[in-house]
Amino acid sequence: MNTSYAQLAHALQPEIILADGAVLVIAFDLIFGRHRPLATRLAASLALGALTLVAAFIASVFVGPIGGFYGESFVLDSFALATRGGVIVLALLTLGVAAGAKVMRNPAEYVALILFATTGFTLMAAANHLLIAFASLELASLSLYLLAGFDKDRRESAEAGLKYFLLGALATAFLLFGFSLIYGMTGELALPRIAAVLAQCGMSPLPALALVMVMVAFGFKAAAAPFHLWAPDAYEGAPTPSAALIASASKLAGFTLFTRLLWPGLGALAGDSSHALNPGGWITIVVLLAGASLLIGNLAALAQTNLRRLLAYSAIAHAGVMMLGVVTASLAGPGPLFYYLFTYGIATAGAFGVIAVLERNGGCQKITDLAGLSRRSPLLAGTLAIFILSLAGIPPLAGFFGKFTFFALMLRIGGIASPTGALTLLAIALSAVSLYYYLVVLKQALVEPFASEKPTRIHVPAATALTLLAATALIIGLGLCPSLLLTFF
Amino acid sequence: MTPLHLCLLISTALFCIGLFGALARSNTILVLLGIELMLNAANINFIAFWRYGPNPAAANGMIFVLFSIAVAAAEAAVGLALIIAVYRHQKNIRLQEATVLKG
Repeated sequence: MNTSYAQLAHALQPEIILADGAVLVIAFDLIFGRHRPLATRLAASLALGALTLVAAFIASVFVGPIGGFYGESFVLDSFALATRGGVIVLALLTLGVAAGAKVMRNPAEYVALILFATTGFTLMAAANHLLIAFASLELASLSLYLLAGFDKDRRESAEAGLKYFLLGALATAFLLFGFSLIYGMTGELALPRIAAVLAQCGMSPLPALALVMVMVAFGFKAAAAPFHLWAPDAYEGAPTPSAALIASASKLAGFTLFTRLLWPGLGALAGDSSHALNPGGWITIVVLLAGASLLIGNLAALAQTNLRRLLAYSAIAHAGVMMLGVVTASLAGPGPLFYYLFTYGIATAGAFGVIAVLERNGGCQKITDLAGLSRRSPLLAGTLAIFILSLAGIPPLAGFFGKFTFFALMLRIGGIASPTGALTLLAIALSAVSLYYYLVVLKQALVEPFASEKPTRIHVPAATALTLLAATALIIGLGLCPSLLLTFF
Repeated sequence: MTPLHLCLLISTALFCIGLFGALARSNTILVLLGIELMLNAANINFIAFWRYGPNPAAANGMIFVLFSIAVAAAEAAVGLALIIAVYRHQKNIRLQEATVLKG
């Protein structure tokens, strides 16, 4: 086994920068921020955090795709590299959201936790070993639980953090038990060697049990039904930037980790994708999760009056579509899946950015609180429209192209008369349903007049305005030229 | 019955007890306790598979357990911090009363 520490330190430069940056943010705040007002401390922490993220991004481009390293425990292929860059960009957007959100106590610790979570995400992207996968997933998850419960003044935040934590820890226990069974079957922990052993022994009751356990954890991480119950509460109660991070970067990293675990690692147990409903592998479980998420997410979103809960149920529905992307990842490579996850992350993080600014200016709980937004702030209304339309999948925005690719690939697997074809038709029909609740949001923001006579203008902080405009540019640019991302794979 | 089978039976029983505790209890600390039992069931699995597996010389299963114990400790710390945060607001840690968020 080739375990060169020099190569490890070289390849993990972005993670080293992120962890050091997190410590630096706290140290800087402790030394210089003691008697300054909260807003100044937040601005300084955010600036340092953003610098760290940019440095980590440059380092990750500089390292480049070098394949497996440290005895195949890590892998840096194009998928890992793209996810690494993607989560760093999404974390940057989160910092932009935080610049416009309500100022909380302990801003430096908040930014440091975002950086630690990002470290976990980038490690998840490169993990090729069960132990690395478990440790990085926990680093990210533990940071996210704390971020969700960070606002000490609001009861909702503490409750959201606790609910997210309890269900997350339960999922972790299932994952660890599943990993222990995989280790027992194969005697190996590195994914390439697990795959080599599994290719010879095939399906039996023990791998089936391990698969179910791993899929429970996957369903939780992805917020797929029936493991979605934490999502609406966490999205509603958590501080807005935390919700943006949970919805965007955490999903991207989680799907990357589990796609790598399922296809290269447990690919021998995949089963037959053209007969997806015959139990024979994990594709059956993924397809069932996808169908349940699409149905529950889209139908429950219709009944929501709270904007954040609506975004949560829309996230559950999107998780269903992403599951289709996991099934098709063997056909077209991980490129389309990454494209969908990344553009979805940008759109949701952007929508949460708009909510964050509104919240500081008088609250944004109900969808009706958006009324008159186009008069109060054309910038917020315009960017929100782009994000929501992209989530709904309206061409030429990025959300449309991602969905279209998945549906086309799904139909290629077994034709229209197979179970996968039926699932695709269901997904297309439910996309039409989803348009209704997305347009309800836009109707409030763009058409409805403001409740009182004189609409008050909303001041958008410069950093947040820049973030929202950058996110809009990415959504439109990637929608018009998807090849910008896809040629990377 | 081989020792491996015995270990697996114990760990499976522990996992089920933990899962039942986590789902049935309303005291948050007891739920946390149930989750810790589930994690330790997995640890027993790792040790058993390592000890009775084909090559105990490669200590990978044991090292995994060391890591997972450390992670479980960190998880307990985070969990207790969140429980205290909830206690500050609702003055108890009963899960039935954490119902501000619903819908």
